[in-house]
Amino acid sequence: MSKDDNEDEMVGYRQQPGKLPFAKPGSGGKDRFSRPTNQEMIPESQGGELPQPWGSHRHDNLVSGQVIGKPTALVDGRWKVTGQAQYGDDIRLPGELIGRIIRSPHHYARVLSVDFSKALELPGVVAIATGADAENKFGVLPVTKDEHAMAVEKVRHVGDLVACVAAEDEATAREAERLIEVEYEILDSIHDMRDGLQDSELPIHDRGKYHIGEANVQKRVFQEFGDVDGIEENAIASHKENWLFAGVNHAATEPHAVVANWDPSGRLTLYTPQQVPHYVHRALADVLEIPMHQINVHRTFVGGGFGGKSDPFPHEMCSAILARKSGRPVRITFDREEVYWINRGRHPSRIEMNLHADDQGRICGIETDALIDGGGFASFGHVTTYYNGVLHTAPYEIGAFHYTGARVWTNKPASGAMRGHGAVNSRCAVETGLDDLAEKLSVDPIDLRLANLLPPHSATITGFRVTSIGMRECLERVKKESGWDEKFRKMPLGKGIGIGCGFFISGSGLPIHWDPNKFPHATVHLKIDMDGGVTVHTGAADIGQGSDTVVAQSVAEVLGLPLDLIRIRSKESDTSPVDLGSYSSRVTFMNANAAISAAMQIRDELLDATVEITGAEREKLVIGDRRIFVKNDPAVGVSYLEALHKAQEDRGALVASGAYRTPPMGRTHKGAAAGLAPAYSFSAYVAEVSVDVETGQTKVEKVWAAHDCGKALNPLAVKGQIIGSCHMGMGQVLSEEMKYGRSGHLMNPDLLDYKIPSVHEMPEVFPIIVESNDPEGPFGAKEAGEGPLLPILPAVCNAVYDAVGVRTAELPITPERLFRLIERKCKAEGVDDAIKLPSPRLEYSELQAVLSKRAEEHSKRDLERRLNDNRQPYYNGALFGLEPTIPPDEVDEKWAVNVIPSEEYLSNPRLAGSAWKHTERRHRSDS
Amino acid sequence: MRMPPFQLHTPTSLDEAISISDELVSENQEFDWVAGGTDLLPNYKWHLNVKPNVISLAKISELTELNETHIGAMVRLHDLVQSSVTHPVLAKAADTIASVMVRRSGTVGGNICLDTRCYWFNQTEQWRESIDWCHKCDCGTEADCRVIPNQNTLCVATYQADLAPVLMCLGAAIHLAGPNGIRSMPLSEFFQLDGMTRNVLQPGELVTHLTLPEDVAEWHGDYQKLRQRESWDFPEAGVAAVWKKNGTTKPIELKVATTGLESIPMLHTKEVDSCLNGWSGAESINELAESIRKSVKPVQNTWFSRSYRRKMVKVLTRRACAGLVEGDS
Repeated sequence: MSKDDNEDEMVGYRQQPGKLPFAKPGSGGKDRFSRPTNQEMIPESQGGELPQPWGSHRHDNLVSGQVIGKPTALVDGRWKVTGQAQYGDDIRLPGELIGRIIRSPHHYARVLSVDFSKALELPGVVAIATGADAENKFGVLPVTKDEHAMAVEKVRHVGDLVACVAAEDEATAREAERLIEVEYEILDSIHDMRDGLQDSELPIHDRGKYHIGEANVQKRVFQEFGDVDGIEENAIASHKENWLFAGVNHAATEPHAVVANWDPSGRLTLYTPQQVPHYVHRALADVLEIPMHQINVHRTFVGGGFGGKSDPFPHEMCSAILARKSGRPVRITFDREEVYWINRGRHPSRIEMNLHADDQGRICGIETDALIDGGGFASFGHVTTYYNGVLHTAPYEIGAFHYTGARVWTNKPASGAMRGHGAVNSRCAVETGLDDLAEKLSVDPIDLRLANLLPPHSATITGFRVTSIGMRECLERVKKESGWDEKFRKMPLGKGIGIGCGFFISGSGLPIHWDPNKFPHATVHLKIDMDGGVTVHTGAADIGQGSDTVVAQSVAEVLGLPLDLIRIRSKESDTSPVDLGSYSSRVTFMNANAAISAAMQIRDELLDATVEITGAEREKLVIGDRRIFVKNDPAVGVSYLEALHKAQEDRGALVASGAYRTPPMGRTHKGAAAGLAPAYSFSAYVAEVSVDVETGQTKVEKVWAAHDCGKALNPLAVKGQIIGSCHMGMGQVLSEEMKYGRSGHLMNPDLLDYKIPSVHEMPEVFPIIVESNDPEGPFGAKEAGEGPLLPILPAVCNAVYDAVGVRTAELPITPERLFRLIERKCKAEGVDDAIKLPSPRLEYSELQAVLSKRAEEHSKRDLERRLNDNRQPYYNGALFGLEPTIPPDEVDEKWAVNVIPSEEYLSNPRLAGSAWKHTERRHRSDS
Repeated sequence: MRMPPFQLHTPTSLDEAISISDELVSENQEFDWVAGGTDLLPNYKWHLNVKPNVISLAKISELTELNETHIGAMVRLHDLVQSSVTHPVLAKAADTIASVMVRRSGTVGGNICLDTRCYWFNQTEQWRESIDWCHKCDCGTEADCRVIPNQNTLCVATYQADLAPVLMCLGAAIHLAGPNGIRSMPLSEFFQLDGMTRNVLQPGELVTHLTLPEDVAEWHGDYQKLRQRESWDFPEAGVAAVWKKNGTTKPIELKVATTGLESIPMLHTKEVDSCLNGWSGAESINELAESIRKSVKPVQNTWFSRSYRRKMVKVLTRRACAGLVEGDS
């Protein structure tokens, strides 16, 4: 390895005084010498020392031992901590104007007139726009475009946009706001989601012939799988609960902000902290009526998204409209209150959860009814309505699944997608229900779960193709590490421990904008010139989750480069290939796969060049740290730069493009695509809490949090996601709530009264990473951004039960709510003082042994399935005696799939199910 | 959020401050005092009763004196917490206020004079416009109270400061200065039951300092606070209890005061007297807690419901008094 210094000089070049010698290309990078390959990072399948208990992976031969699996600081971290990162409001363009939005003070009203003549006369006011300036509708889902830039006819909630103004400075813009006179005709508003199911004289939206009756039902779902009729006969224990979940907001640190600028060539650049720049791009083209190529969407740094920055937003349209009108850049930054007006937070929900177990301790039925409060607009709600059902059809094998869901419009800020989209509330209801079911069966709730898990490479009752499953390991790890057996139902009053599990999509199987042309979901371009640095062009939006880092890691790993040789260009749509955006936990899975496929092409070219230089056999070459060499004879090889320069001969920079598209999968019933994903994440948390039985105050002390992310490409980021998810989920379960007052107003649109847990409330979190090595994931990876949020809610609820013996059915469990339950319990127990309440205890029934035995057998079954490449198919239903290799509806007519309610059902529907009583207008005889 | 414009006055002595206030009063100009600014300035950003003039006390060093029996109005809450001369119950209460960042700025005087708070009041201008304003900041509309509809005589906004109950229990006197000279009174007489006037301060008058009785070190006690989070949140209820004992189980003297429940903090003399009269240890404290629960009348205008806050007053009182009967059986 060591070289004589003189050899560095190129012979024939005369050294001039003061000039450095012209060196041979080194290995590239800051350190001029390659590091030896760390065999502990090379998988067993490649002769390395990295154990692979879950078998080999198709990307194993691409592992160079550089960065995959190493705790890695985010590549943009320094930008953020030094204040150099430019967020939405940091963009300053010469001659900028400040935009402000005029918002409705009424819940529901017709806008009769907007008179802005006085405001326009105010010195410093440059442009004013109203709904009349942009009448085209938009919305994140093409099937439910129901938003305007500003009110066209009606305002639908307090804070809805009416007009906007651009002025020389903020003070003038705010002054102008006051001078704009709007005449309203106030309409009867609805606030209770149950009212949304009824016919209304003036529904909040009119969907024409697709409108459901005259109601405010925006979307309804009916689904039946499995032996629904047999539930009653088979069940020996049932759980039923009616849940009420308050709406919660993402409360990202950075409020929304946007800058729009029409440049001298007539193109629009929109600077915006967006999770989903591509859909904004499309929406802008629709609303502004200009072709997409005339728009450059520039994603700024994003100060937290969590789903709250994933819709195309009306204020983004407003800034573009004002910029077009004024001919100057326009910046709009929200006050915190405006963040609550735009909302898109988790839906307030009423969920009825019914779970049934049979005499074998099998989950013979899940019946769910979810009514979700969409607020004023559709947003992602179409999908949310499905997700509230279909995302709890795993990880358990179930005998029947009946789901009715409905989303209604109300006169509130719109609900939308938020971390754990649609899965969080119903998952909480399922997991607390299982806890209750275990109580009723007198068995351990962890063992109940372990005995009912789907095996790896199986299909759920809804037909989702599940590949890797690390659920069992998650449960086993948290059980062991939390000291479950010593604590569960054994702790004194006020101390409790609880379990909760999660299951989440790792990227949605179908893109939102479904294209007949089979566009990829993610595309990555690479460009490498003679300096050796790799420019990665990707449209994936880094919203703090670390997608820039993951794509950099993936490229670095395949090419054997240190991270400082990789530079990410992910901000501008002009230069980035289309990526669908940072939602549905899709980015690592899809974008890293695209990046790997692009990097593989470059890798091939470098290997070819190495063969040319060294004459070595191509199959025997491997890539290490900035060096390509013969595996068994490392002395034979070339540096990265030497190979690169050879590859560049006569053509210059190397370029490559890689793309990812999901494989075809799933079934064909209506709604079959919702919840489909190329892979799924699994998680199990145990939470330990202390409850002050006299005040109802709950403190989460410790959380053991196991998450199966397939392969932790960056364990540091995965742990960050787990801990962050705990914090966010704890907020929803204990204190966060969008509180609506008696007049329908949001009472706490600020961060003092919207109670995000402080550092004092934060428990000690022990993140446990389980790596199930997904066959299709990049290096085996799956998501870690949303799934880790799900289990914390039920784990806390179940721990509270273990502590004081009361079950909540309303979130958040504020001290006040818990106190009320404890009071009720005292009354029921005839106890005058809460500190005298008995602590919950549990004696196991005979079923416990049955479950333990089955769990053990299944553990062997799962191990066999995950390592055997020639495994048979496994369809949900096998546990109930059906043939595992054939879809159950093909072998048993009782298991037929049904997506339309029967007359019989409609005679006595559940709450959300009653949405089906309305007839869609196009099917009505009078229409 | 944008700070509305105002004229800032920065006197460097108490005399200068009072002469500025005197001048503004005589010119009929409205103004506010600002100490740490952690209460006033957020309210200003929300356009809550903004005045054209603000007199800052930040540069008046004579208001920062702190010893066992003297607490200057401009003593920072953080300094009060950290100081070894601070009475332990007062330090404990101060340590629960907001967050350390707020405490580094917020002052004792500011905390005593904290504006009352209400869900219908502490909102942005646009928000308040959407409810047609409220009595406490009616913007010239003579709007009704939104907590108790159809009345616009009394404001029921809640006093949510932590120091006052402890200081009242410890027998603090408050000292004021103004254009008409100086005056003093027991802190318990400083407050006036109305969410808008709040206290006896006259135009141009300010709090200069508080004094504690010489025997303050002989008093022991506790402060208990109800809130959702252990940081940031204002008290949804607060109970201070201090007592003097001489070896017997029955205290020689006992004082209990509450905050966060009505428009002013309250010293519960009557309830305590009857408790001491029929003293029987822990049982008496239970009765005292119950009688204080009955005597307070919170309204529905903060995070927790009024009924819960009331019930918790009982628990907090019991806990604040726990030290009194510790070791008793």
